[in-house]
Amino acid sequence: MTTRRFAFILALAAPLFGQVGLDPAKLLEQPTDTWPTYHGDYSGRRFSTLKQINSSNVRTMTLAWMYHASGNPGSIKATPLEINGILYFAAPDHVWAVDARNGREIWTFKWTSKGGTHIGNRGVAVFHDWLYVETPDCHLVSLNIKDGSQRWAVPICDLDQFYYGSLAPTVVHDVLITGVSGDDLDRPGYVSGYNLETGAMKWRFYTVPQKKGDPGSETWPNEEMMKHGGGMTWQPPTYDPALNLLYITTGNPQPVIAHKNREGANLFTACVVALNPDTGKMQWYFQASPHDTHDWDATQVPVLFDADWEGQPRKMLALAARNGYFFVLDRATGKNLLSTPYVKVNWAKGVDKNGSPIPDPAKMPQLDGSLVSPNQGGATNWPPPTFSPQTGLFYVNASRAYSVYYVFDPDANPMGWGGIDEGGATLETMIEAIDYRTGKIRWVHPWQTGSRAGLMSTAGNLLFAGDGSNNVIALDATTGAILWHAGLGSSVSNGPISYELDGEQYVVVGAGETLWAFVMRSK
Amino acid sequence: MQRLAPFLLLFALFVGAASAHAQEYNPETAYSTFRKVCGVCHATDFSMPPRSKDQWTQTIQKMQGLGAKGSPDEFALIIEYLMRREGSVKGGGRGVQAGSADKHLVDFAAAERGRKVWAAECINCHGTQARGGPQGANLVRSEMVLHDRYGSEIIPYLKKGHPLQSGHPISSLTGENLSDVVHFIHEQVYDTLRGSPIFHQQDLLTGDAKAGAAFFNGAGGCTACHSVTGDLAKIGAKYDVPALELRIVSPRNARGPNRPRVTITVTAAGAPPVTGYPAAFDDFTVALRDAQGVYHSWARTPDVKVVKNDPFAAHDALLDKYTDKDMHDLLAYLVTLK
Ligand code: HEC
Ligand code: HEC
Repeated sequence: MTTRRFAFILALAAPLFGQVGLDPAKLLEQPTDTWPTYHGDYSGRRFSTLKQINSSNVRTMTLAWMYHASGNPGSIKATPLEINGILYFAAPDHVWAVDARNGREIWTFKWTSKGGTHIGNRGVAVFHDWLYVETPDCHLVSLNIKDGSQRWAVPICDLDQFYYGSLAPTVVHDVLITGVSGDDLDRPGYVSGYNLETGAMKWRFYTVPQKKGDPGSETWPNEEMMKHGGGMTWQPPTYDPALNLLYITTGNPQPVIAHKNREGANLFTACVVALNPDTGKMQWYFQASPHDTHDWDATQVPVLFDADWEGQPRKMLALAARNGYFFVLDRATGKNLLSTPYVKVNWAKGVDKNGSPIPDPAKMPQLDGSLVSPNQGGATNWPPPTFSPQTGLFYVNASRAYSVYYVFDPDANPMGWGGIDEGGATLETMIEAIDYRTGKIRWVHPWQTGSRAGLMSTAGNLLFAGDGSNNVIALDATTGAILWHAGLGSSVSNGPISYELDGEQYVVVGAGETLWAFVMRSK
Repeated sequence: MQRLAPFLLLFALFVGAASAHAQEYNPETAYSTFRKVCGVCHATDFSMPPRSKDQWTQTIQKMQGLGAKGSPDEFALIIEYLMRREGSVKGGGRGVQAGSADKHLVDFAAAERGRKVWAAECINCHGTQARGGPQGANLVRSEMVLHDRYGSEIIPYLKKGHPLQSGHPISSLTGENLSDVVHFIHEQVYDTLRGSPIFHQQDLLTGDAKAGAAFFNGAGGCTACHSVTGDLAKIGAKYDVPALELRIVSPRNARGPNRPRVTITVTAAGAPPVTGYPAAFDDFTVALRDAQGVYHSWARTPDVKVVKNDPFAAHDALLDKYTDKDMHDLLAYLVTLK
């Protein structure tokens, strides 16, 4: 039999064997039997509607399996996808498919690297039978999800300009959308839409103006500075199908610390920007850190939810930013509804009429040092927060720390970084449950040892988290009381996910090089 | 930039090793060899100050004496790995994990010779640090320079007839002159990157020593624990100025044999209190090593009382209180204690 005919017969028979590809309809549902995107769904809430595991029975959840990732890949920072009983996840230069029922490896893919920063990979996107992943050496690679074989690889950035790939792509309609990483030298950030079949570029949105007269160019001193102004796009976007708006968040401006040659707000760095996903055209923006000088990108998750705002139903977007501010916006228009610090900060003199914090020039980096809080790591960082529509609370892993910001390069025309923060101390680290209506902290769970774990909330009134001493933890989402924990040998290093298979609910987390699955057995 | 956790920094350093001589040195093989041979006895995520090849060789010989097993090739690879990981050679693109694995590595001697060519023939137009100006392009941000390897792009471009500041034709420069100046230009690029070896603190002594003394003896409350004739008597000679500023801000991370450390005291119901250095401390368990080095652990139940004795707590509280002026005045004052 020819391979073609064989393939044809297999295709016909596929439903009998069980489906492998992702049905695009799943992208528009709340995650139950499938966790189809980095954030679980387009909203970025990381809220699972499953409640078989809940606050009254979580203590009886058991270990289902563990999978130690092959190939010394380093920590798993990727949020796995779960599609038709198979998990797909990545680390720099590695992709794995693992049976979601028993943790058995189905295939692995190894990319031969030409370099780039190998700090982490957030995960993959899947659409029908194809998987998409970024590599540290600036490639977007498409694999067949059946066997991990490579379909194509296209360059998406220039390694020689110190860009690299780390984030999980997102599919909207027929466009594969993804950004770039890298802030070593002064280069512009961008997000692009690619053809799902070929990887050919459809559109590109530069996060900083590329010439005088472009929107935002009035916030830069000259064309040379804006063109090289940074604004990397480290975070997978979120998306509102009804408004057809894609929400991207952007990184810090360049030069990073020594900043005297880039007077102005430096748009659209450290912003939330709403784009049309089909064309890449900007609809509105909100700047979280005008003229940032502390390496505080705004590339945290722009979380979307519909809820009551002062008695009216409203479509909102909430962001707990690295600079210590919690923002709520109307996501149709970008209008700011709330700006309030969620940890004590000392760098801003209040907020302006648009709701953007006003940086205090005295607390910008200085030649003789300035003591600033948060420190460079930020009040929070890339690990994802979660929003529970049940409790109306926004949960975030927060940190309060000081460090001294120095300008090292006194030149009138600095480049690259030109300074750094040093020393200081961390005063507290904790989970905060923030009431979106007021920004008030409803409850706090302090950590002894800090945490870099992502969070997930569920309809079972649970909040899944990890501490800094290797425990995965379930808390009561309403009260913050600890209900369950398990020691994993490494600290939770990604965002937890949940899915239902064969009538049983699973929770999966990554800790170091291992994935751990817990399950509520129905019998 | 998304900040690295300390252990990731180590990982980053390890990956950074991939940037040099990728053809003959395979970082993955090196790392797995290192883990295989050295990981038998101890953790492989330690960090040490840079050491020379001889120093690493001595250490490895000592480890062989203690029973470390491996072939001569494996030990040579481990030495190479450790030198790269711990940054024995810095600058010129080494230890930079960003960018291509086959990036241009600067020959420092050539770059020094190139600096002279630069001063004679290029500096007026392109600037001291190659950042450009009204007369010449910014070469640090130049895509041609970033794509160049050892003159592959730059030299053919110059040879097309680039102006020189002496007014001589470009052909007056030898092949070596051109190759040297290329090393110099690449050095300027690497010197711009984060962690560049040429960047450091500037003049930090901007404060008022008198005001610092007043704060020390008054509002700062420092005399509750310190004395300028006792423990801080020669503090200005003990540290260089940048290090002293960071110690004033927080001494928490200073390490040394006679340093105070955080201890915990655990009292279980009906048992005498046990004090020691914390080995684990979270919501579920508390563990410590006592003065004899014995390990104790407890589940954290309501019956188990834990008290953290943190000698740095007062310094943490100062962080919310210090103004930048206090910090600079204190530095100006303490630096005089020599
Ligand atoms: C009289 C001024 C002048 C002098 C002297 C000069 N340059 Fe240039 N150089 C320029 C200008 C102007 C450009 C930009 C030309 C353009 O854009 O077409 C340039 C471009 C370059 C470029 C290409 C940059 C790019 O991205 O296209 C390199 C490399 C370069 N110069 C190296 C040198 C070196 C090395 C020397 C000394 C040996 C030197 N130049 C001397 C004015 C000068
Ligand atoms: C409650 C006690 C306490 C107070 C109050 C206090 N310190 Fe300290 N300080 C310490 C401890 C403990 C150390 C750590 C000593 C060591 O590492 O040997 C320290 C260390 C230092 C050091 C570094 C000493 C060295 O040799 O490394 C400096 C400088 C310092 N403190 C300055 C200050 C200043 C200035 C103030 C007031 C603004 C202050 N301290 C207030 C407890 C205190």
